Amino acid sequence: MTDSNIPYTRMDVCNRSLETVKHSRNLGMEVLSAEEEGVRVRLPWREDLVGNPDTGVLHGGAIFAMMDQAGGMANSCRLYPNFEITPTIDFRVDHLHAPTPGKAVVCHATCYRLTDHVTFVRLTTWEEGKEEGEPVATALATYTRMKIDKNGRVVS
Amino acid sequence: MTESLKALIKACRQGKADYQDLMDRVPYARFLGIELRVQGEELTFILPKNPENIGNPTLPALHGGAVAGFMEQAAIIFILLEMGEPKVPKTIDFTIDYLRAGLFRDTFAECRITRLGRRIANVHISAWQKRREEPITIARAHFLLSEENN
Repeated sequence: MTDSNIPYTRMDVCNRSLETVKHSRNLGMEVLSAEEEGVRVRLPWREDLVGNPDTGVLHGGAIFAMMDQAGGMANSCRLYPNFEITPTIDFRVDHLHAPTPGKAVVCHATCYRLTDHVTFVRLTTWEEGKEEGEPVATALATYTRMKIDKNGRVVS
Repeated sequence: MTESLKALIKACRQGKADYQDLMDRVPYARFLGIELRVQGEELTFILPKNPENIGNPTLPALHGGAVAGFMEQAAIIFILLEMGEPKVPKTIDFTIDYLRAGLFRDTFAECRITRLGRRIANVHISAWQKRREEPITIARAHFLLSEENN
């Protein structure tokens, strides 16, 4: 089956998951691209996502939430055109330096290994417009695969 | 650290200010709706059940990122109150294990400092819903204790 025979794209799948996940929508996340190799996801700088009111730097937790979601989308891109839900098993993020207050951040997430039950994901986040430079955060994560039927029930 | 933050931490310790004021200074803590409860010298952090924090509408379950952010913020407040001379904790890394689904209900967290050095704090955070002995997530994090005035 070639991609052109499938009535939905990877981008559709990612946007659909953003629509249904209220908390990610609340964070203001946006999918910039969705390919087999992975996704690019944007998190805006917003006053209510600030972690240090004295500097205006985004909270590490907001960056974490965006990256965890991006990892899930990287799984969807790798599993496409099949659809599975992939709960997080383990997620580690390193905050390499603080993003500039007022600047959005962009995360690249790639599922680099898929086994029968587990996916392995690598993620890097940059300040928007500085995607060639030093990342603000890197992460490694594992997710478990849960296949679902057309009614959304978990089958294995 | 700004003088106003130092003054607030001091006031909290003396019982002249509410610990919640320290939490509510942080915009992202208000975004998630984090609360805290003080019993003697024990601090319990609470993420009240809130539809805005849902990640899986079918179960329904909380967003793993909301739970992680809650735990990270809990650790930051915990360290701020544990230090003799408070410095600003900046997250170096944060590692979380998801053990059970975070159901759509109140979530609680407690922190334990493994080591509080001059520059680095090592913290363990545990979050639960039904009972403390059945954590939904456990996390380990390192914080840089910054002298900077921010």
